[in-house]
Amino acid sequence: MSFLRKKKLFVLLIGIIILVVLIGYSIRDRDKLTTAEQFVSDTVGWMQSIIHAPVKYITDVFSNMDDIRNTYDENAILKEKLAQYKTLIYEVQELKEENKELRKLIDKTDSLRDYTAIQASVISRSPERWIEQLTINKGSLNGVWPNMAVITADGMVGKVHSVSKSTATIQLLTGFDQFNRISATISRKKGKDIFGIIENYDQETNSLLFKIIEESDKDLKKGELVVSSGKGGVFPAGLLIGTVKEVIPDQYGLTRTALIKPAADLYEIDNVIVVDRKLPSLDGQETGGVE
Amino acid sequence: MKRLYIPLILFFVMILEGVALELLPAKLVTSHLYMIPHWVLIVLVLVAVFYDTENTHAAVLYGLIFGLVIDIVYTGVLGIYMFTYGICIYLIHSLSRFFHANILSSLLMGILAIMFADASIHLLFSMIEIADMAWGNYFLYRLLPTIVANMLFLLLFYPLLAKRFEIWKDQRLHHSL
Repeated sequence: MSFLRKKKLFVLLIGIIILVVLIGYSIRDRDKLTTAEQFVSDTVGWMQSIIHAPVKYITDVFSNMDDIRNTYDENAILKEKLAQYKTLIYEVQELKEENKELRKLIDKTDSLRDYTAIQASVISRSPERWIEQLTINKGSLNGVWPNMAVITADGMVGKVHSVSKSTATIQLLTGFDQFNRISATISRKKGKDIFGIIENYDQETNSLLFKIIEESDKDLKKGELVVSSGKGGVFPAGLLIGTVKEVIPDQYGLTRTALIKPAADLYEIDNVIVVDRKLPSLDGQETGGVE
Repeated sequence: MKRLYIPLILFFVMILEGVALELLPAKLVTSHLYMIPHWVLIVLVLVAVFYDTENTHAAVLYGLIFGLVIDIVYTGVLGIYMFTYGICIYLIHSLSRFFHANILSSLLMGILAIMFADASIHLLFSMIEIADMAWGNYFLYRLLPTIVANMLFLLLFYPLLAKRFEIWKDQRLHHSL
């Protein structure tokens, strides 16, 4: 009996040692998943994409029923907006043309804003809510690599965390911590842009914290757009992140922090675009992990 | 061939967990209540209660394997689910000897398993500073809704699985005799 007891205790201790080793191995800043992990992710991802289709169909039917009820009101608003957009599109096209020509003039064709888009659909969402992550159906075979920005039509949703051959996991903005910074800016006229760093996601206020680097009398207004600046070295410039919700002083009263409401809906995400910046990136500057 | 059924069921349930949040209405997901589907654990509890005998530990083995797969696919931090599910199912397996195998005892086992598993996952995640939630808030906003949601799942799956597990157990015993 005492031998059995000892054996159980022994197994438990070995278990704890294995646990600590595994955790330690996996939370250190890895740039690649092991082959075994990639194999499991790929297999499960393949099954997930099969299961996901019928589930998506069912949830779509329900949300469609919901949509139909609000159609009339929405239609009126959208028509109004569409009229505004038409003129805007024309202006944007003009500006783009002009921008291209001017760039040609100064022999600078690459821009921080340029990126190639990789379309992907979401196949599952982690049930573990401590870790906000999605799985998409594109992986390293499609050119997806860690630390690429991920956007939807509305704005940025997160960044690629790890990739296997045909799937990739995305860390959502809601799961960002102090190790995932985005260099961001609020665009103003004549070089009065406000630069800062988006530091992490605050669960209590449901908003991103935007630390303003250069403090001055530039007043932030509610509703101003915050976009990525591209100066962090990984993300391209001009990706919409969110709008200013509130400005609060930090605990010493020296700098201020803006609370940013993410522009994209971080809960209902079906299709995403993985953004591959055209200009070569400096590794790990923007989202570099624990060293 | 029959031996493969249980791993296949577990695999299917594990994949369903990935779309669980889409099945819930958006208002519940965005509210302050967190419901974590531990459906694999629930099925494992049923396996431990109905399929395993005193001397077999199939549920513990499956707990370790599928815990590791959940770690790889859904969290990226290896070992946490594997360790928790393994120990949790081992305890449930030893406890279930003292009860008759019926719906009430499975409910009790389910509640105990979810409490133990989710609390130790929270403990481990807060040790590596991924989770930061005060324990009081955790009990109120996370553990309680999680228990309620998973018990509903257990009630739903009990009629489908419990009888079948018992039949498979009897068949296996006859084979070995």
